[in-house]
This record gives sequence, structure tokens and C-alpha cells, in this order.
Amino acid sequence: MTRLRDQGPTLLVATLAAAFGAALLQVTGILAVVIEDSGAAESGTVRLLLGLVAGVFIVIAVYVSAVVTANTVATVVAGRTRLIALYRLIGSSARAQRTTIAKEGLLVGIAGAILGGVLGSAVAWAAGEIGVLQGSLPRFEHSLLDPAVLLPMAAVVVTTWLAAWAGSRHVLAVRPSQALGNSAEADLETVSRRTGRAVAAWILGIVGFALLALGVVVGLFRPEGVLIGLLGGILSFTAIVLAAHRVMPPVLRAVGRAFGDGPVARLAAENAVRHPERSARMTIGLVIGVTLVTTFAVTMESYRTMVLAATADRAELQDALGPVIDATVAVFSILIGFSAVIAAVGLVNTLSISILQRTRELGLLRALGFDRRQVRAMVVLEAAALAIAATLTGLVLGVAYGWVGAQSILGSVGGGPGIVAPTIPWPIIAIVVGAAILLTLVASVAPMRRAARVSPVVALAVQ
Amino acid sequence: MIALRGIPSVEGMQITPTDLGLIARVVSLGKQYGTGAGAVTALEDVSIGLRRGEFTAIMGPSGSGKSTLMHIMAGLDSPTSGRVWVGDTDVTELSDSALTLLRRRRVGFVFQSFNLVPTLDVRGNIMLPFELDGRRPATEEQAWIDGLVDSLGLASRIRHRPHELSGGQQQRVAIARALATRPDLVFADEPTGNLDSRTGREVLALLAEASSRYGQSIAMVTHDPVAASHADRILYLADGRIVRDSGRSTPEEISTYMLAMEQAA
Ligand SMILES: Nc1ncnc2c1ncn2[C@@H]1O[C@H](COP(=O)(O)OP(=O)(O)OP(=O)(O)O)[C@@H](O)[C@H]1O
Ligand SMILES: [Mg+2]
Repeated sequence: MTRLRDQGPTLLVATLAAAFGAALLQVTGILAVVIEDSGAAESGTVRLLLGLVAGVFIVIAVYVSAVVTANTVATVVAGRTRLIALYRLIGSSARAQRTTIAKEGLLVGIAGAILGGVLGSAVAWAAGEIGVLQGSLPRFEHSLLDPAVLLPMAAVVVTTWLAAWAGSRHVLAVRPSQALGNSAEADLETVSRRTGRAVAAWILGIVGFALLALGVVVGLFRPEGVLIGLLGGILSFTAIVLAAHRVMPPVLRAVGRAFGDGPVARLAAENAVRHPERSARMTIGLVIGVTLVTTFAVTMESYRTMVLAATADRAELQDALGPVIDATVAVFSILIGFSAVIAAVGLVNTLSISILQRTRELGLLRALGFDRRQVRAMVVLEAAALAIAATLTGLVLGVAYGWVGAQSILGSVGGGPGIVAPTIPWPIIAIVVGAAILLTLVASVAPMRRAARVSPVVALAVQ
Repeated sequence: MIALRGIPSVEGMQITPTDLGLIARVVSLGKQYGTGAGAVTALEDVSIGLRRGEFTAIMGPSGSGKSTLMHIMAGLDSPTSGRVWVGDTDVTELSDSALTLLRRRRVGFVFQSFNLVPTLDVRGNIMLPFELDGRRPATEEQAWIDGLVDSLGLASRIRHRPHELSGGQQQRVAIARALATRPDLVFADEPTGNLDSRTGREVLALLAEASSRYGQSIAMVTHDPVAASHADRILYLADGRIVRDSGRSTPEEISTYMLAMEQAA
């Protein structure tokens, strides 16, 4: 049967998502208890609100982790076309193979959920204890055995399972004949044509962008425009995700061209775009992460600028509001940044897997006269192309969405229709770019070492 | 000419392989994989010289050490004992980067399959050795390459990617790339192993022509007596040793000898 063998990456992603969910809910629980103890009048409402906010961020994190898992599984499957074809050739059914993969996904999901649940609860507990010790929190009674924590855990199990199922759909497209022949590379991606997906992407895109525009217009008169904009944002972004295999390659190509045209740079750039499907898979998680962070940051920043401008003549109000807004921005940024971290883990995984799958090709390059340094440089440049392209795309989308958000919320504020210039939160952009550079380095270390170690002989042994 | 161990060496004066008209030479070569009980001796005390401008075939049963010998001669793998020269360069003493340069400039390869870089088109694959060297081919080199591309029937395919080519076409691209830099020596490990017999013959004829017309030195591993009959010289390996060294032979002679060898085993 087709096994995923190396389940480490998927387990890590599932664990991170579950830990995030558990920690967030535990912290929410602790805060709710603390607030109740303080005897605030509206503690019920606060609790509900906190739960709602936590829920939104957990959903985002679980969603990103599902995208990442599906893409990791798909990358593994694509690299195993020949093996799968061989099994098909000797009589195994495609469905049986896919079921095995999905079952593994389920097991990994369960393991990740339990690990993450325990880990997240432990982190929340430690944070609470530290808070009490430092005196920033009063003593409180709160049991960590909160049944609510089971919710994100269950969500992780289900989504990992479904993601493995979705990611393994290519198994069905493998033809037994692909085990034969000596074609340089069995090309799985071109086999499956999906007009359905293209149509869906177009419809969602058109409707989504129309709603975005409508949101902006309505927002000129009423702040409720943001709700229309939100719907438009979700739809249009889904369209972009669906069409990622068309959207990402041009960006990757442009980034690759910036690397110059030595043989190493050219091969790295080509590797990054050789399969539109694969490059889309590798980058889309990170695009989602960066877009979320940026959208959020731009909206918040514009909001802050607006509030500060509106209260310019009331210094005491500004002094009171400023820190609250700052703290909110910081907390929300960290919460949403976690999803970007999960997405980054996804990029690291898929890059490692794809280098591993190219052992033979690397051996060939070594035989033809690539030295170790050149092989290493190729891997780093490939990682850089992917990370830069994803980050740029995410930043552009994020600024655009962020502006729509700010415009539709604030367009009607101050008495009449007005245009809100998007405020770009440079510190956060700098953090995102810095993180992308760091990610490139981290993502390329292990594959780089492995690639440089490939001996020409081992790689060229006919399997 | 083969028993190089008997070469007289005058005091204070090394006889270089070039002096002997050799393009590559191995002396007392041994290769072991693994250690202890599980050790496999792939080559044992092999000494041969490949002559400049000749097309040499290496034959022998499966597992006799043909690929191992070729990999070591090409600097792709290191021997357990003995020495290897390509031209006058002692390959066994070279560092990894010197070996890389040797592969880039002085030897060419044609493997059984997976010869081409999937992301590069035909032109890109053929030019890769030059690109790696960071130089453009000189005018005459370019003329040579264009001639190769034409005579290999690849002119209309120059912009195609490997996966758009048939197996035979892919092998022809590999041959064009191997010959492009006019290396000292081209190594081919079962270059026709994945081709049907007609396409295989065509590929062989190309190699034979490169040798006869342009004096290209070629070493080719093969299982096919017909393929070997194109060669000027045939070396037979069995259990990691050279057991026979013969001149040009007919396919019948080769088959007869191979059969006898298998029966003796
Ligand atoms: N990496 C390795 N590790 C262990 N043993 C090896 C390794 N490579 C080759 N061998 C062994 O060395 C011997 C010679 O192998 P080699 O590949 O040179 O044979 P060959 O003559 O090319 O065979 P074939 O015609 O089947 O390609 C075989 O017994 C083989 O099992
Ligand atoms: Mg062999």
C-alpha cells in the first residue's frame, strides 16, 4: 500500500493547531474566571465575547493547518506516482490506496490533537501560574479539564483526516502505465484537468470582487458595509486559493528572473515553477498566512490612525484609548501570526519533501559537474524564490484587503462619505519580511545539507 | 598491451598514460562495498588501459562489476585500492571540487535512463556543461554543437523538454551533451538498455561514428552482443576481474563467448 511513511510534518502541523486551540480556550477560561471573580457587571457578555474572538482565531488556525496538511499529502503523493502506478500495475485499486492514506491522516490527526491538547493546556496553565506569581493576575480557581478544549481537538482530528483525503485525490489520477517507460519524470499534474475548479474560481472571484466594491461603496454611508466587504473578501480570497496554480507561477517567474541567469539561478527559478500545481501547493499556505496578518494589521492601523485623528483635540481620551488599541493590535497580531507560523512550517515541509524526491536529479547534476556549493546555492535560491513570491503576494493582497476593510468600516465616520488612505503598519511589514528571510534560511538548511550529500553514483543507480 | 603491471619503469622517470597512448588507465584496482561478513567485492585487481580514440565495450554478466568500474574510472566513486588516471591526472588523489571540474570538462556521460535535467529544454541540457563552467562556447565549439544537433536529428526539438521526447530522442540529447565539450572520454552505461532494438542500433551507430570520425574515446558498458560488435575492443568482466580482452568481434563471436562464460559460472 502507499504509505506516507514520514508523518512527522503532518503531525507537527496538527499538534501546533491543536495546541493553539487548547491554549487559547484555556486562557479564555482563565480570563473569564478572573473577570467573574472581580465581580464585573457584564461578566457574562465578556465571557461570550472572549469565546467568540478565540473561536475566530482557532477557526483560522485550523483552516490554515488543513490547507497545509492537504498540500503536504499532495506533495508526497505526487512524488510517489511511480510507486503508486506500480501498485496499480500489480492489481491494487486506487481507492484502496487512497483509503490507506486517509486512514493514516486520521491516526496522525488523533495523535496531534492529543499531543497539542495537552501541550496547549500546559502552556496556558503555566502562563496563568506565572501571572499569579507576578501579581498581574489575582488568585483564581479554574480547572484545566475544560470540555471546551475538546472542540479544537476534534476539529483538528476531522480536518487532518479530511485534508489527507483531499490531498490524496491525485492517487485516483495515476495510471498503471506510469510505472513503465523511462520518461524523465512522470507528470502527474498535467494528467488531471479540472475545469470545474476554474469555473468555480471565476464565479467566486467575480462575485467576491463585486461584493468588495459594494462593501466600499456602502461603507461610504454606513459602517455595516464592512460585513458585505468581509463576505466579498472570503469569496474572492477563496477564488485566489483555487486559482493559485495560475496566480503563483507568474509571480515566481518574476522573482526568479531577479536572481540573474547563471545556471544555478536559472535552475532554481525553473525548479520553483516547473509544476504550477506544486508551486501553488508549496506557497499558498504562506500566502494565506501573510495575507491574514497584513490585512489585519492594515485595518487595525488605519483604524488607529482614524481614532487618533478624530480625538486629536481631546488629549485625555487619546491617552486612555492609545494603550488599549496598542494592546489589542499586539494581541491580535500574535494570535493571527500563529497561523502564519503553521503556514511557514508547511513551506519548510514541502520544500524538504520535494528535494528528497529529486535525489536522482541532484545526482545527475553532480555527475555533470555541479559542485556541492552550487547544489547548495540552488536549494537556497529555490527556497528564497518560494518564500519571497508568497510573501510579496500576501503583502499585496493584505494591503488591498486591509484597505477595503478600513475603508468600509471608516468611510462613513466623521459625518460623511470620505476616502480613508490605507495606513501601512511598517513595523509589522518589516517583521513579515524578516520572518520570510528567516523562513528561507530555515527551510533550506536541511534540504541543502541533504542535497549536497547526494553522491552521483547512488543517485544514478537504476532503480 | 593490457598487462600494465609489467610496464618497465625507468628509474627516476614516470611513464605517463599519455606516453602509452592511453586516455584512461587503472592499476590494481579493487572495490569493496561494506565490511565484515556482508562485504561485497565488486572489483578485484583490475588493471586496464583505454586507448585514445578507441571505442571500448565492457561486457560481463550482471553483477560482474561493469558499472562499478565505469563509475570509478569517471571519478564518480572512489576505489578501495589501486589507482586511476584520466589522461595524466591521478583521479584517486583529487579533491571533491577537482573531481567536479574533471567531470565538467574532461569526461562525458550517457546513462541508461534519467540523463536529462527535467526543467531544461534540449538546448539547455546540451549547453549545461558550458554554463556550469560559466562560459559561452567559442565559435568553432558552437559550430560543432550545431553540427551535432543537426546530425542527431534534434534541430526541430531544440525547445522541447525531456518529457516531450521519446526514449531514443532523450538518449540522443544525452549523447549530444556528452560530446558537446569534446571530452577526453565519454562513458556510457547501457545507453541502449531502455530502447527498442532499432532505436538502440541508431544510438550505437552514433557513438561508433563519433569514435571513428572524430576520434572520440568512448567506454561503453553493454549486455548486447550486437552493441558490443560496434566497438574496436571488448573487455569481459566476471566476478570483478577482467577475464578477456579482445579486438573487434562479430555479434556471433561475442554471444558464443558470453554463453561459454555463463556456463562456466
Ligand atoms: N552500493 C552498493 N552497495 C553494495 N554492493 C554494491 C553496491 N553497488 C554495487 N554493488 C555490488 O557490486 C557488484 C557489482 O555491481 P555492478 O553494479 O558494478 O554490476 P554490473 O556489472 O554493472 O551489473 P549489471 O549488468 O546488472 O548492471 C554487485 O555484486 C553488486 O551487488
Ligand atoms: Mg550496471
